[in-house]
Amino acid sequence: MTTHPSEKKSRFDPEPMPRRDFLGLAALGSMAAAFALSIFGMLKLPKAAVSASPAKKFNVSLPDTLPEGEAFIPPGRNVAVFRDAEGVFAISTVCTHLGCIVKTSAAGFDCPCHGSGFQKDGTVRKGPAPKALPWLKVAKNGSVLTIDEDTKVKTGTKV
Amino acid sequence: MKAEGYSALHEFWINLRGIPNHVYRAMFRGGPPKTDRTRSSFIFGNVFLHLHSVRTHLWSLRWSTTMGLGIMTTAAFLITLVTGILLMFYYKPYTDVAYQSIKDIHFIVPTGRFMRNIHRWAANVMVIAVILHMARAFYTAAYRKPREFNWFIGWGLLVATLGLSFTGYLLPWDQLAYWAITIGANIAQSPREITDALNITQYFDIGGLQREILLGSDKVGEEALIRFYLLHVMILPLTLVMLMAVHFWRIRKDGGLAKPANADELVTEEAKEFFPVFTDVPTKTYHLAAVVKGKTSAVGSGPEHTVPSMPHLFYAELGVLMLTTLICVALAFISDAPLKELANPLVPENPAKAPWYFLGLQEIVSFSAFMGGIGIPMLCVIGLGLIPFLDREKEGTGEWFGGPGGWNLVKWSLVVGFAASIGVEAFAIHFGWLREWFPDIPQLFITFINPGTVLTAIYAAYSIWAVRRYNSTRAGALALFTCFLCGFIVLTVIGTYFRGPNWDFFWSPSDWGGH
Amino acid sequence: MNKNKYLLMVSSIGVFLLLAAAAVSENFMKDWHGIQGSAKTTEGPVDLRLRQIVNPQLKVTDRCVTCHVGMASGEQITTDQKVGAAHKPVVHSPTEIGCTTCHGGQGQATEKDDAHGNVHFWTEPMLPAKYAYASCGTCHTPLNVPNLPTLENARKTFERLDCYACHRLDGRGGTLRPGGNVTGMEGPDLSHVGLKGYNADWYAAHLQKSQQAVDGAWKTSFREVGETDRGALKIFLDTQMGAPKLIEAKAQFNSVGCAGCHTVGTFGGDAGVNLSLSGFKDPNQLNFTKVPGEHTLSNWIVQHFRSPTSTVAGSQMPALGLSNEQIDLLTLYTLSLRRRTLPDTYLPKDRVKAMRFGAREFASNGETIYTAVCSSCHGANGRGTRFSGIVPNPSITGPEFLQLASDDFLFQTIRNGRPGRPMLPWGDRVNGFNDDELRAVIAYIRGLGGNVQALPDPKPQIWATGDVNLGAALFTSNCSGCHGKSGIGGDGPALGNKAFLTSVSDTFLVEMIKRGRSGTVMQGFANPSPISRVLTQAEIESIVAYIRSLNAK
Repeated sequence: MTTHPSEKKSRFDPEPMPRRDFLGLAALGSMAAAFALSIFGMLKLPKAAVSASPAKKFNVSLPDTLPEGEAFIPPGRNVAVFRDAEGVFAISTVCTHLGCIVKTSAAGFDCPCHGSGFQKDGTVRKGPAPKALPWLKVAKNGSVLTIDEDTKVKTGTKV
Repeated sequence: MKAEGYSALHEFWINLRGIPNHVYRAMFRGGPPKTDRTRSSFIFGNVFLHLHSVRTHLWSLRWSTTMGLGIMTTAAFLITLVTGILLMFYYKPYTDVAYQSIKDIHFIVPTGRFMRNIHRWAANVMVIAVILHMARAFYTAAYRKPREFNWFIGWGLLVATLGLSFTGYLLPWDQLAYWAITIGANIAQSPREITDALNITQYFDIGGLQREILLGSDKVGEEALIRFYLLHVMILPLTLVMLMAVHFWRIRKDGGLAKPANADELVTEEAKEFFPVFTDVPTKTYHLAAVVKGKTSAVGSGPEHTVPSMPHLFYAELGVLMLTTLICVALAFISDAPLKELANPLVPENPAKAPWYFLGLQEIVSFSAFMGGIGIPMLCVIGLGLIPFLDREKEGTGEWFGGPGGWNLVKWSLVVGFAASIGVEAFAIHFGWLREWFPDIPQLFITFINPGTVLTAIYAAYSIWAVRRYNSTRAGALALFTCFLCGFIVLTVIGTYFRGPNWDFFWSPSDWGGH
Repeated sequence: MNKNKYLLMVSSIGVFLLLAAAAVSENFMKDWHGIQGSAKTTEGPVDLRLRQIVNPQLKVTDRCVTCHVGMASGEQITTDQKVGAAHKPVVHSPTEIGCTTCHGGQGQATEKDDAHGNVHFWTEPMLPAKYAYASCGTCHTPLNVPNLPTLENARKTFERLDCYACHRLDGRGGTLRPGGNVTGMEGPDLSHVGLKGYNADWYAAHLQKSQQAVDGAWKTSFREVGETDRGALKIFLDTQMGAPKLIEAKAQFNSVGCAGCHTVGTFGGDAGVNLSLSGFKDPNQLNFTKVPGEHTLSNWIVQHFRSPTSTVAGSQMPALGLSNEQIDLLTLYTLSLRRRTLPDTYLPKDRVKAMRFGAREFASNGETIYTAVCSSCHGANGRGTRFSGIVPNPSITGPEFLQLASDDFLFQTIRNGRPGRPMLPWGDRVNGFNDDELRAVIAYIRGLGGNVQALPDPKPQIWATGDVNLGAALFTSNCSGCHGKSGIGGDGPALGNKAFLTSVSDTFLVEMIKRGRSGTVMQGFANPSPISRVLTQAEIESIVAYIRSLNAK
């Protein structure tokens, strides 16, 4: 509050130094707190709580007749599933460069966008890709495989 | 341009180090706003605060002067603006997914349900506040010269507010939305009642044209949804913001809030608290006045008891802003925004009701579509717009219920307004109307003689009596405005609570039967 | 001016507290937080987060798995709590087609009442567990379903012949594994053969293997099967789609003549409402004033079957006098009529056959056709037994009628109907009966009447000669009471009907007037009777001549 002796009435008088106004500060502070909380809520909103795409963790059964070394691509998924003598494993088919979908080829995997190439185990063969194609977590439950596109495992992990 | 004695590189280094300091000073040119003087220059230098005058009259700061209704309307608008933009992150304006996207907002969007509730309640608060704000401006005779134009702008803001609220109604695409908009669109078509009766619809179908422009099709569908969406998120908010800017700016240009002639004397007690109070009569006018004839409203009108807007006015404004937020948040916390079944064009809601603020209209529409939907509303709207030009008196400006008659007249107008509207409604509900008595009566008779027009006529007659009794246009305006406000309240309450399926009268919604 | 500061402070603190309360209730207090918090997987506690099953093609976004976490894709819940339990194995993976496709309810909701659809503004609540098999009707249209007795008989045949020894069916059977060598000895699972198809020569193949086998199941469990039993097995196998209760319900529907009045899909009568979407009725639009219990669609349907007229004002439907079991089956079937628009990739074969090629939903044997379509008017035994409140309909299994009515007459009658009368042209309409079906139902009708065949009639169709005016007078005094003025029909058949006169023979008319129609009020006029005098041959022929003259008008 800028309360002053009543004799100082002109705006041409020198200005007094402001005094601490605790009530005003408390009011402004509580408003700032309320604003901060509401802004926190607003910032939460744009981040969707649940992805609108089908779940990243899914069940799949391999065809009985899948030849060794040949990829099985579950429909609608960006995963190549293989079976060999040591077990089953899944390799992501999302290029580690800029996210195009790689194609299986005789040499392993080839990316159509910027020419990255990968070996059969996903390691980089050529091109700009910075990392190997990740191997994905596979859980075996009878003949049903549960593949989690979100969880990577060490290259070479077969179940 | 480098400083003396430093190499350019060294100076670059100094500038780099000085960035925080320079940015701060670039933002606060007059220094931090700690004294009245620096605060004043802070207001000058800030584009948002500049809408305020630097000093505010103490009369304007009294709670009883405005009750903060204008700020409350603005605050509610800001709340709807922020929550509305947030809702747009998830809302999809297509008929096959709109409803689902609202369900998503309700169930899984973080804070989504709360935001939608706040949006909905803030919209209602805004409609109520804007009506009350208009009533305040009217009862304090604040529309008079030089504020006629600002009253005009305010009138536009009222229409835009109702339009915003109405267009938002369709977006959830549920049964409530679908049938409310169907009714609203058919009200827009109601001039057909006249053109049909005159048999000229095929040449001049203004009603059909209005409806078609509103809906983009012959029924409420995807075309209507996208139009309403465009109006709701783009055209109307932009219009509203523009009008608001003009409205606020005009407050300053029209010399601040309307105050009584003896406002300075009335605030002497409050003035003792402050220093320094602005007491010198201003003699200068704006330098633009060198090319503009006339004076600004401040010249020669002092001495004025003004205080710096910052912080005194800002505390009041922020207080009302937070109060409005509190009201909206509390309502949102208690009650969820409605979402009925998915819109089904084959199964009408019964009763299908328009948004609540149109239920008074729907009530008179049930007597005559044209008179209820176009005739009487146009009369009100034109009447409201013309008030400042018809009432050019001086007495009572800035005072509550100021002018000849005063509170006594308003009191009696309240009695007449409520009694007449309840009486006419009770008569029509109990005894029916012309069509029940003379089934073959031509439509034109009903259009011009129905409970809505009868009520209007009673109000008009009473106001003419008031004009003659007090020999003042202002008295007539007070009487008429009060009566219409009463009629609006009574009809809205009847339409909301006492009308059930088939628009029959029910004492309570629990008697509706059905489900 | 301190009051403005107080206003600001108090409002701000209020807003802060309310926002904090809202944040706590949204982030910690929801039901699913507690449910997921107590769920455990083999790898420890589950992540606390919203889960959903998305299938854009089916327009499914089901968040049921937010609480029923065990049914979410890839989740392995070990704690044996009911909510978190895994879905029992089913043909259609819930992680692919979602939950609401079968169960109904509101998939987008994340709170119990909303999700289960028990809220006012959700029109499709979950199907009660009792009627769960109705959900198959969302996509499937069971074909070739016989009536209930036939189905029961076929099921018993399957059991009696010990097919369960080697074959599994709906989780039952396939238990006999001789020789200890488990795999390879088991027959194929027959649960879905009605959809997937099976080898039409199975019997010959079985027989051959059985003859070649030395011992083991082929010798001990398989015997020769007679032709009747093979027919029953075919009926049984053709209906197997993994939904035994739905088949039973549809068989019940095919046993009480509903199709005589109601259309489902592409076939049925038009006296009653079209039932094609009756499983999707909005409970909010129904009148529950006379319905006891909760306001659910299934309760309404049950009550409607008990007492149609009191449940739906102005309903023409007679009370059928059904047992509770029958009502439950019919309710299940009605609920199963919930066709959804499906993308082509999800259209099941049976539905394609039914909707695009008009495949029969009922078995095309005479018995099923009769019970499914004809029995509602002509009665289960063909005696014209009527439901009270319905216009009487002709008895068609009396010996006189079956002797006089030639197969051709019956064929024409069923095929072309009686225009203007309740009898529809059952062969001559959209997806109407084909000739084989007409012959089958005629054979069944004759069987109902004790296998009475038509007497040979050497005379031409029209031979009677008589005085038309005399016939007219006699008709007015003797016949028009029941057959209506000028034979327009009343309680008795419309004799002046063009379709009737086109196909009927004079022999039929003359002999019918003489002998009467046993079991009905039509007495033979050649016999002495307390209500009318005996008519002479000439008088009868005059009446016939008069009836013939009606055709010309």
